[in-house]
Amino acid sequence: MSSLFGNILKGWTDYTKGIEEGGHHKYEHMWGMVIDLDKCTGCNACSVACYAENNIATVGEEKYKARQSMQWLRVERYFDEPDIDPGAIDDENAMQERGASFLPMMCQQCNAATCEPVCPVAATYHTPDGLNAQIYNRCIGSRYCANNCPYRLRVFNFYSYTDEDGAWPEPMKQQLNPDITVREKGVMEKCTFCIQRIRAAKDKAKMENRKVKDDEVKTACQQTCPTQAIMFGDLLNSESKVTQAWERQQVKLGKYKQDRENPKLRGYRVFEELNTDPSVLYLERVREE
Amino acid sequence: MVKDSSTKRSIPWIRLSMLMVFVGAIIVIAAQVLDQKLHYVGEDVVPGPIVPGTQYPDEKFTGIDVPQPINFSHKIHAGDNEINCMFCHTYARRSKVSGIPPLSKCMGCHTVIATDKPEIQKLTAMWEKGESPKWNKVHDLPDFVHFTHQRHLKRFLFDNEELDVSDAKRVCSMCHGDIAEMTVAKKSRPLTMGFCIRCHEANEGPSDCTKCHK
Repeated sequence: MSSLFGNILKGWTDYTKGIEEGGHHKYEHMWGMVIDLDKCTGCNACSVACYAENNIATVGEEKYKARQSMQWLRVERYFDEPDIDPGAIDDENAMQERGASFLPMMCQQCNAATCEPVCPVAATYHTPDGLNAQIYNRCIGSRYCANNCPYRLRVFNFYSYTDEDGAWPEPMKQQLNPDITVREKGVMEKCTFCIQRIRAAKDKAKMENRKVKDDEVKTACQQTCPTQAIMFGDLLNSESKVTQAWERQQVKLGKYKQDRENPKLRGYRVFEELNTDPSVLYLERVREE
Repeated sequence: MVKDSSTKRSIPWIRLSMLMVFVGAIIVIAAQVLDQKLHYVGEDVVPGPIVPGTQYPDEKFTGIDVPQPINFSHKIHAGDNEINCMFCHTYARRSKVSGIPPLSKCMGCHTVIATDKPEIQKLTAMWEKGESPKWNKVHDLPDFVHFTHQRHLKRFLFDNEELDVSDAKRVCSMCHGDIAEMTVAKKSRPLTMGFCIRCHEANEGPSDCTKCHK
């Protein structure tokens, strides 16, 4: 009897504490990311690295046009509207020579993820690492999660790419990463923040009886980024670079509206107002006016 | 009339409160029973048949024989001569996989020991040709499972004060069966998810999906 009431009371205190602290009190880690858009040159190296690291199938032009691409990390391009009247659009000198703004979008690892509650088989759930995990062998491919993701960052295996004329013809099978599954047809997949690297680092730390150090885990995109625009680390570790960046930008987890003193701070989270509570912080690009 | 109705009204309240106490008691007792059932990890970790008229799949599992190119006898090495498992399977304590020893490790002893046996002569012939025996995999986990020997050995062997490291085969036999009594290894445990989970529950291992599923 005491255990029952104990559980209820413990659950209640956890629940209230979770609301007060934004629901992050019980986590071992809270992996987060900071992407500096001022540094991003839109070279797409992160996307390529992601393909190589995570055994993502290349689908070819036809399927790409049919929006069946398997990109986990896409670099979105945004162009400013020219600040001129439409009649002068042929005048080359009147156009702004600014080029595009780039926004690398990977799974935002929302802490209040919209994809999680709609999964009928609980194949996607929140881990104690603060990650939005996808268990491939549990997934039945209902695709509810992809429909419910406001960022459109979940991709679906419409075909099987493992056969001979698939994504990896014979010698290329040798380059598949053994630490991550090759997904089959009918399975939803998405960015995992390179969970295999996190797992390896955690295993190593446990073997040496210590905590995971800052900078010990590097995601594939972070490792590849030539301008080092991507930072990755543990938001629960107060000394990590990522935490410091979040504090500098006065952005906090568990809020859908940040009350910041300085309006010139660059940090923002995509679709924060939807209260998905994403773990990826973007630093806005600064341009000359 | 007014007085009558008021007395009639007062009676259902008593009944209602008694009913509510009764229902509440039933709910508390039911929750208690359920709570115990959900968190039950008893002495018999392997549960018996749950559905009447059926048999629990693990009890039915009698093992899978896998033929090998050379009839390597685990009984002679690990059983009779009591060689530690980790002498040959060196990578078990260092990595995910336990590893199969290279032929050079076999020849380290068998240039001298038991050179007259037919199986050893097969081995020597391979060694001189520069080939290696093509062993077949016995304990093959699915692609989506992450299992690391290193962490399990640390938990059950190196961090275990009640067990000496020379007794490593007792830890190995938790999943691999009594290898020290076999010739070539046989898959004698089902190695299903239920098999893993029951051990994880009994030994307080992690229960997070991504710990094992990749």
